[in-house]
Amino acid sequence: MILVPIIALIIGAAIALAVKLPPVPGVYGQYLAVACLAGFDTICGGVRAGLEDKFRAEVFITGFFSNVLIAFFLAWFGDQIYINLFLAVALVLGARIFTNLSLIRRYGLTKWQDARERKKLQAQAQTQPVASAQPEPNP
Amino acid sequence: MTPFASRISKQDAWVLPVSLMCLVLGFMCCMAWVTQTTRSTRMNYLPADQKIRVNEAGVDIEAFQQMTTEVKKLHQDNTRLEQALSGHTSETQALNESLQELKLFAGMTPVVGPGVVVTLRDSPKFSGSGLDPGGTQPDSIIHDVDALKVCNELIASGAEAIAVNNHRIAGNSSLRCVGTTILVNDVKIASPVIIQAIGDPKTMIGAMNMPGGVLAEIRQTDPRMVQIEAVSSQMLPEYVGKTTRNFAKLAKESK
Repeated sequence: MILVPIIALIIGAAIALAVKLPPVPGVYGQYLAVACLAGFDTICGGVRAGLEDKFRAEVFITGFFSNVLIAFFLAWFGDQIYINLFLAVALVLGARIFTNLSLIRRYGLTKWQDARERKKLQAQAQTQPVASAQPEPNP
Repeated sequence: MTPFASRISKQDAWVLPVSLMCLVLGFMCCMAWVTQTTRSTRMNYLPADQKIRVNEAGVDIEAFQQMTTEVKKLHQDNTRLEQALSGHTSETQALNESLQELKLFAGMTPVVGPGVVVTLRDSPKFSGSGLDPGGTQPDSIIHDVDALKVCNELIASGAEAIAVNNHRIAGNSSLRCVGTTILVNDVKIASPVIIQAIGDPKTMIGAMNMPGGVLAEIRQTDPRMVQIEAVSSQMLPEYVGKTTRNFAKLAKESK
């Protein structure tokens, strides 16, 4: 399931290459790069929420666009008032991406370990039908 | 509903919106990607230390070395072919001799001979400022002009071949400063700058040590920045830089 967004990411990049829009030059390219970071953070958050069964599509989609715009705006605004808000945005988003990715990894790991454990128990139950005759709560 | 959609359970409801946004993100990343055309304009907005990092990461040292070896090999092949072609008659041999002589003069062959080695290094005296060496004391670092002056003086005092950090100085060589590094034949070098010259060691050392000469000023800042030694034999590599011409053509009269 995690493969579908990755394929979508590649397709998105392929579309951009196919329509041959020139990459954004100069300082607006910088702002867009920060916006990309925000988008990546939102997507990590979305995947995490999905794995936690807390996902809500409307929150996610509005969050994606607002985060992207806020990151873009903050970077631009920082340049207007001579404060390097690029760094602040990159720091905060970087930290969040790390947290989200580590949580995603943990969910995946737990799921995998659970599945393995269950398989082991099932195998045991099949080889020892007498033992499993006793009522036992399924993990 | 399609059979595929009906299989999406509540648990996997996140996949579709996330994929959709991934599509947008992929598009955005592609637009923000630094390419050849946007590199120069994007570079201006980087802080100085990151600029150096990006610059150094962009240089593919392995590819450069590979290319250099390739050029050297082609030069050797060329010489071998010339020699093979000229083997038959005395006329062609004479032609080949004059050709090899010209190649030697143009710096297209490695050369061996006695000479001097001049080493210029940044002064350790003022190197406390970390990221910005010499930011407070510009005299304490070696500039392109220093290396240029030394090369000029060496040629004036009879050097027949010169190499700076193993890059041969030939007819269309250049020494230039870019940021905190020096470019020789458009290749970056770092301090210490080692200038090897082939010629009469005594004359060249005399020229280097001339009072009020090119090195006097540097020595005034810190005598440790300069080091000169005579060597009885050293090998200088051939010139492997650009040899293509876009504008110059052979003049009609000399054909």
